[in-house]
Amino acid sequence: MASFERASPSLKNILQKIYRAEKPLELDHHLHEFGSVEYHIQSTAFDPHLAYLSISMPLLSQGDLLPSGISRYTMEMIKGISSDIVEIIEPAKAGYQLTLRLDFAKIPRKKDPVKIIRDISAVQATVLSAQLKEMLWKVNYDDTYQGMHKPIKLVYHPREPFYVIRQPQKIITVFPMRFKEYSDVIIATSFFQELMDVGSSKKWAKAPPCCWSPIPPPELRGEPFADLSTNGGFVTFDIAPRHIRGKRLEKTVWNLLNFYAYVKYHVKCTKGFIQRRMRKRLDSLVEVLHKPNLEENEHTKRVQGRRRVRKWMRLPTSKLLKRKCGEFTKKIKRIRFRLKIQGFLCFRQRWLKIPKFSSSRGYMKLD
Amino acid sequence: MANTLRLYLTCIRNTLDAAMCLQNFPCQEVERHNKPEVEMKTSPELLLNPILICRNEAEKCLIETSINSLRISLKVKQADELENILTKKFLRFLSMRAEAFQVLRRKPVQGYDISFLITNYHCEDMQKHKLIDFIVQFMEDIDKEISELKMSMNTRGRLVATEFLKQFM
Repeated sequence: MASFERASPSLKNILQKIYRAEKPLELDHHLHEFGSVEYHIQSTAFDPHLAYLSISMPLLSQGDLLPSGISRYTMEMIKGISSDIVEIIEPAKAGYQLTLRLDFAKIPRKKDPVKIIRDISAVQATVLSAQLKEMLWKVNYDDTYQGMHKPIKLVYHPREPFYVIRQPQKIITVFPMRFKEYSDVIIATSFFQELMDVGSSKKWAKAPPCCWSPIPPPELRGEPFADLSTNGGFVTFDIAPRHIRGKRLEKTVWNLLNFYAYVKYHVKCTKGFIQRRMRKRLDSLVEVLHKPNLEENEHTKRVQGRRRVRKWMRLPTSKLLKRKCGEFTKKIKRIRFRLKIQGFLCFRQRWLKIPKFSSSRGYMKLD
Repeated sequence: MANTLRLYLTCIRNTLDAAMCLQNFPCQEVERHNKPEVEMKTSPELLLNPILICRNEAEKCLIETSINSLRISLKVKQADELENILTKKFLRFLSMRAEAFQVLRRKPVQGYDISFLITNYHCEDMQKHKLIDFIVQFMEDIDKEISELKMSMNTRGRLVATEFLKQFM
């Protein structure tokens, strides 16, 4: 996923590592980022304060405006990051469009080194912004087609081109939206409708007006059919001169460059949100079905409890019986005692003889 | 709850109450087998007439009954494309976790969004009135969940749009 920060986080980390290294570091890193951007960072142990940063990225426009490499204006913008520390090496390293020599020893003590490194890490954003700004300035007013200016196709990402059309009062940016899945299209469409609603409210009157349409706007008439065939429709932003005045220009350019990534990130997050919610809901739905089982278990437990109580009630009765019969058993034991006592037999025959009971069911033997 | 929805759910509840008198019945075709007759449909004498309860064209419930099993198929309303994808996603999610529900069918009957299969064993294990309660509660919850999901998605979209426009200021 694209990072919405201007500075590349991984590049920033590596540069900070070089700057803060106590021992000389030997580094040779290749980084690849969203938008087919490649960085090559080199640092030698021989000269620890020096680092070489080479960047390769697709040009924003394949048109006539920038036929070869990076323009002088863009070079000036890069130098403007920090003229003491950053030096552009010409020609650039083979396979890269720009090579910078970074001298960390020249970072002034008064300035915050973290901020300077962050600015250097945002070099790709600087290049892109400079290209877009230059294009907007250099657009030929006479280059019109049926009373309208010819759209400029910008390719920030190979699969996601967008168009900029300069008009006398405003600049129109058109984003043809394409998504792989149908569900993405629906989520994004609802987002575009919300964007339109929010943008048209009074509170956001200063923000660029936004419009979404399933068909291409009339400004793109005459463009190749392949570029105009989308499944997510077309989002149009009307950029007024006040949006590109002074410091706002940077923000506006960066927001427009990141619009695709922003929408895709929103779609991805929304899908995650739906999934999380469904998981939570599943538990509550299952709970309803398993409730009777729980109740049943409780019921059976209660019944078992009663049985136990019954058992406990029985025990004392048996004990009582035992106690009652205790005396009798003792007598029997005494009778069967092996020690012979004089005169005891007579006593036993007389007093301790178990009487014979005649049963009512008994029968008489008839001879 | 809307009045029409209450009537619809009451009708389903009463129908299920009447239809859910299942008993153990071994398969007549294969010895020592016990199969849900509503699925097999091998003996027409063991099947009852299916009942279709419709709230409107988009919302309906089909109750198919047999001697030892009952199949309930539901079609959930989908007012727009967003509701359509949310319903599909949610019901697919539930169908993939059918083992958690015991009575949920992995694949819905054609023309419906979700199906349940209740056998006599389910009726023995879980109480009949609890099963009916579950089906009715499920229908209520699905409707509620989808409308809540739709609302929260729109709210999220609005917040994200606001944040995006804020960056231009």
